[in-house]
Amino acid sequence: MKFTKLASATLLSLAAVSVSQAVTLDIEITNLTQAQSFTPRLVIAHDDTVDAFEVGQPASSALAWLAEAGVIDDEQNADSSGANFEALLGPVDTDNGSNTWHRFGGLLAPKATLSYPFDTMDKPYLSLLSMLIPTNDAFVGMDSIEIPTEPGTYTYYLNAYDAGTELNDELNSARTDVVEAGTGNTLGGYGVPGVAGGGAPTRIVDLGTGGTGVGAQIVNGEIEDGEDGPVHIHRNALGDTDSAAGASDLDSTVHRWLNPVARIVITVPAS
Amino acid sequence: MNNPIIKLSTLLMLSALLAACGDDGDTGPQGPAGPQGEAGTDGQDGTDGQDGSDGQDGINGNSAVYTVQITNLTYSQPFSPAAVILHESGFHSFNEGEPASMGIEIMAEGGDPSMVITEAMDSTDFLDAQNSGGILGPRSMGAELTLVVPELDSDDLRLTVTTMLVNTNDAFTGLNAANVSNMAVGDIKTFMTVTWDAGTEANTETAATMPGPAASAAGGGGEAAGYDVVRGDLADAVRLHQGVVTSANADDPSREGLSTSVLTEAHRFDFPTSRVVITRTR
Repeated sequence: MKFTKLASATLLSLAAVSVSQAVTLDIEITNLTQAQSFTPRLVIAHDDTVDAFEVGQPASSALAWLAEAGVIDDEQNADSSGANFEALLGPVDTDNGSNTWHRFGGLLAPKATLSYPFDTMDKPYLSLLSMLIPTNDAFVGMDSIEIPTEPGTYTYYLNAYDAGTELNDELNSARTDVVEAGTGNTLGGYGVPGVAGGGAPTRIVDLGTGGTGVGAQIVNGEIEDGEDGPVHIHRNALGDTDSAAGASDLDSTVHRWLNPVARIVITVPAS
Repeated sequence: MNNPIIKLSTLLMLSALLAACGDDGDTGPQGPAGPQGEAGTDGQDGTDGQDGSDGQDGINGNSAVYTVQITNLTYSQPFSPAAVILHESGFHSFNEGEPASMGIEIMAEGGDPSMVITEAMDSTDFLDAQNSGGILGPRSMGAELTLVVPELDSDDLRLTVTTMLVNTNDAFTGLNAANVSNMAVGDIKTFMTVTWDAGTEANTETAATMPGPAASAAGGGGEAAGYDVVRGDLADAVRLHQGVVTSANADDPSREGLSTSVLTEAHRFDFPTSRVVITRTR
């Protein structure tokens, strides 16, 4: 019967459509900077109730952990438990209703490209975040793009943002001649002053010492942690050319960047 | 006189009489009168009259309504009041590589956008405009401005926005006739914007030449430090801005800083400098 054939063909095509929505994307990310490494990448597929960051709005504690220390989940740093993106989003690689996410581990060196498969679990939007090191709290961000549904290759250029949760002192965290004002804490990652990731194996040069501070200044051997939010476009590292003095422990001829800082190529496979 | 209804009823009465003669024998008494016949069919309708002439067009056609919201993405460059203009294709408030209009010069040097709007209103392509009227602080989202254009023009619609970065000599950001045609109700378009140098004033970064708070803190600023009729830039042409030099690293071995600048490293900015979101609400 012609009619029966037609009906079953329609059912078949409906089934094919619903299968094709559960796509595994190929996500390729390229670091376009000359001397900033990317910390492990947080990739989130989500609905419109999830907003990992928003310009003009204060950063969440999860964003502060990512932008100051490159930390996304408990496995990376147990101290971040309850305040990181894992706490905000739910278990990794799971359909958490509003989202599913994955941490693509390791550092992405300057000029390098890596690509990953990522199952979106039918969520309509995609966000991607990664800290730039060495900086105080700079991160590269993809802000809730609509995931394309037509098979093909799609390219996006991403900007560097300032999470606004730490003043950009540009001080080498390996220094022992400076401590956090008030607490006496040594410099480092989350919640304390200083540039994170200066000693990363992907670094281009070693950081200097002796800087007096850029976005905040050393007073009597102490440096203020402070905030400079809400989230905004990063005004770029300053650096200087004196590795033993000057304002910054970064190198102005090495560590600066201009937007965009990353290229993302998303491939939606033919179903 | 020829009356068809009477004729018909006569005929019907006759048939009733015939039906009453049922007896085969002697003729019986006369039967009762038959029922009255049915009414005749109606006559045909007359032909219709001619259509009346069309009414005049209404004064207010259907309107398309848009909201525009600007977010300042910079760390410490307040934005002057913004000119937000909807117009048809063909009009440009400014063109890269060409001298700025006086409206653009006044806006980019002193922060007053009103002449940018009046220049646009002189164009036949103009549709609607708003002056945001206030300073938009760094790292903050502005209020939603509402603009209304005729529905008919929504298929060829351009958005122009200009606002000054006030801690500069003549830097401004915004949109140059961005295409916002054919948006359906509920559609949202987001633009991340670059910054232009108006080309009308040298980038000296001194207190006497900039209107914003950085110059005020150094004893200058305000309206007097804004618009200057002299065009003293390297070239009298709008182009993309190279960023502010500032006094940072003026004493560093690189000597890259501008020691006469009243700006600090905090006033530096990278692109994009603003986000413009337009939503069609009706």
